[in-house]
Amino acid sequence: MKTSKRWLPLTFKIALLTLLLLWTLIPITWMVLSSFKPNDIITAGTPRVFFTPTLEHYTSLFSSGNSLWPYLLNSLFIAGVSTLIAVVLGCMAGFGLSRIRIKGKQHLAFWIISTRMAPIAAVIVPLYLLFRYLYLLDTHAGLIVAYLSFNLPFAIWLMTAFFDDLPLDLEEAAMIDGATKLQAFRYVVLPLMTPGLVTTAILCFIFAWNDYAFAQTFSGPSTQTIPIAAAQLLTQTGIDWGKLLAIGTIVVCPMAIAGLLVKRWLVQGLTLGAVK
Amino acid sequence: MATLQLNNIVKDFGGTQVIKGVDLEVKDREFVVFVGPSGCGKSTLMRMIAGLESATSGDILIDGERINDVGPADRGLAMVFQSYALYPHMTVEDNMGFSLRLAKVPKAERREKVLAAARILQLEELLDRKPRALSGGQRQRVAIGRAIVRNPSIFLFDEPLSNLDAALRVQMRIELARLHEELDATMIYVTHDQIEAMTMADKIVVLQGGVVEQIGSPMALYHHPRNRFVAGFIGSPKMNFLGVEVRGADAEGVDVVLPGGDCRVPVEANGVSSGDTLTLGVRPEHLTLDDQGPLTGNILVIERLGGATTLYLENADSQWTLVADGDVAHRVHDQVRFSFDPACAHLFNGSGEALPHRHRHPLVAIDRKENRAPSA
Ligand SMILES: Nc1ncnc2c1ncn2[C@@H]1O[C@H](COP(=O)(O)OP(=O)(O)O)[C@@H](O)[C@H]1O
Ligand SMILES: [Mg+2]
Repeated sequence: MKTSKRWLPLTFKIALLTLLLLWTLIPITWMVLSSFKPNDIITAGTPRVFFTPTLEHYTSLFSSGNSLWPYLLNSLFIAGVSTLIAVVLGCMAGFGLSRIRIKGKQHLAFWIISTRMAPIAAVIVPLYLLFRYLYLLDTHAGLIVAYLSFNLPFAIWLMTAFFDDLPLDLEEAAMIDGATKLQAFRYVVLPLMTPGLVTTAILCFIFAWNDYAFAQTFSGPSTQTIPIAAAQLLTQTGIDWGKLLAIGTIVVCPMAIAGLLVKRWLVQGLTLGAVK
Repeated sequence: MATLQLNNIVKDFGGTQVIKGVDLEVKDREFVVFVGPSGCGKSTLMRMIAGLESATSGDILIDGERINDVGPADRGLAMVFQSYALYPHMTVEDNMGFSLRLAKVPKAERREKVLAAARILQLEELLDRKPRALSGGQRQRVAIGRAIVRNPSIFLFDEPLSNLDAALRVQMRIELARLHEELDATMIYVTHDQIEAMTMADKIVVLQGGVVEQIGSPMALYHHPRNRFVAGFIGSPKMNFLGVEVRGADAEGVDVVLPGGDCRVPVEANGVSSGDTLTLGVRPEHLTLDDQGPLTGNILVIERLGGATTLYLENADSQWTLVADGDVAHRVHDQVRFSFDPACAHLFNGSGEALPHRHRHPLVAIDRKENRAPSA
């Protein structure tokens, strides 16, 4: 009786998941596969599943007059630095916010995360004016600051949640063992925070890596990132599908792998066994 | 060598007083147990001693020195948490040696001390394991080992056995008592389990609602509870209570009216006079089945433990619990008569205070060490 009752919802769940999976995977698979197809069959009326793969789009991306290298380096540098700052500050602020005992703590925490909730479109013009005034347009620092304005509150909020999950007993035990607050943080808290730090870092990195709107508005010739490069391939005269798909693959693949990593870390309960 | 003194300790959490003026003296090498229902402030009191919580007012003295403003790291205490609080990313050896590492003790010496503690607790085999690879009982022993390695002036235990199953709890109880003997250290132990308190303590501190109800040896609390709360809290099954009227009182004791005749309880009258209402308290194990007894009851439930039988009785105006031999033949719904030795009974006045017994029980002054024979 019981199994037959659960049978229907289970099929339903599987069907839904399959649909979702197809919905997500088909375009990505198509993009990745097509990026290895010669130009003439990319746009063939009936999609070809069997073909001789070619790296021509990738090589031309990195060799032609307008090489992708500077864009890639810009993206890596800007996303990397803004992530590093967000994680370091977010870790310290999150620890403080999690451990401090003050009235109205939830309101403070909510105010911080609420700054992350503003739509990008709403802040882009004020930021533009601000950056122009501060000479931050077309600088790496400008984009780093722009990404921080979204990533820092998010990092603080996420790290606070991770610290909240870490039993206070461990730090107290360390302090009774003779540790100062800083030593307790360094030897006990920080090693246990690896999943939190990695998760936060990857999510922050993805935000900066994927961003188009900020980069489009604030970057100049010397600071353009990969999404801008991709957009430049959509020209008046035509669309270079091969290169576009190759760029898309370059943008998506690292993030997809990182996403899988986040899942692994999120699921892992490193504190298991510390506290019953 | 360490003594502890608490003078009028108060703890206020954002307007609510959780500890309401506690005075306590802990002698060197004493095993003191804080016991009370959950939420009464036992952990808070212990955490103030450890320095994890600041006292709102009052003084905490270790060896006569006020340490209110000394941080937990510098009080020289060790604490075993209810959750064990083992560092999950460190091996057993690193867990136990963490305090020495912080104190910059050289590695070889550290290892030696950890090994010595591990030997006491039979943990040598487990030194390379991480906490998650240990059973509950083993984690418990590692937590105790970590405390031993620190060589503290006072050991603090906050409900250390409450996460263990019943059999292991009994075993660890004995092991802790043995450890106290072996280390000869001052220990303070928090529990809500009165059996743990009775079996391990030199001195029990009964707390309720942030107030000390009574301090004394296990036998003093059992035979001379100061009030109704302590009388009901110490002892298992709980003491029976019955409202009674006073017939008369003199230097020999107080006469009270029972359904089957009067009874003279040998306590100080303390101003009680004829016509007053008191509460009579008799422990289940002091009630005896007796065909001539002054009390009657109908058996509601029988619990047979083999060696003893617990009878739950009911009559028109009261309920009783009675502990009898294992071989009582009665059945549910039988009507039985029972009695008690008035010398074992207690009387409580309207505000719950006990009328003091005229004679002290001979075992009240017994030293716990006399219960634990070998060594020293
Ligand atoms: N940090 C805190 N803030 C506010 N109230 C607290 C805090 N810690 C404990 N309390 C309150 O103090 C009382 C005593 O708690 P505790 O000492 O943990 O009791 P016990 O250990 O006897 O079960 C409880 O009512 C609890 O809710
Ligand atoms: Mg507690």
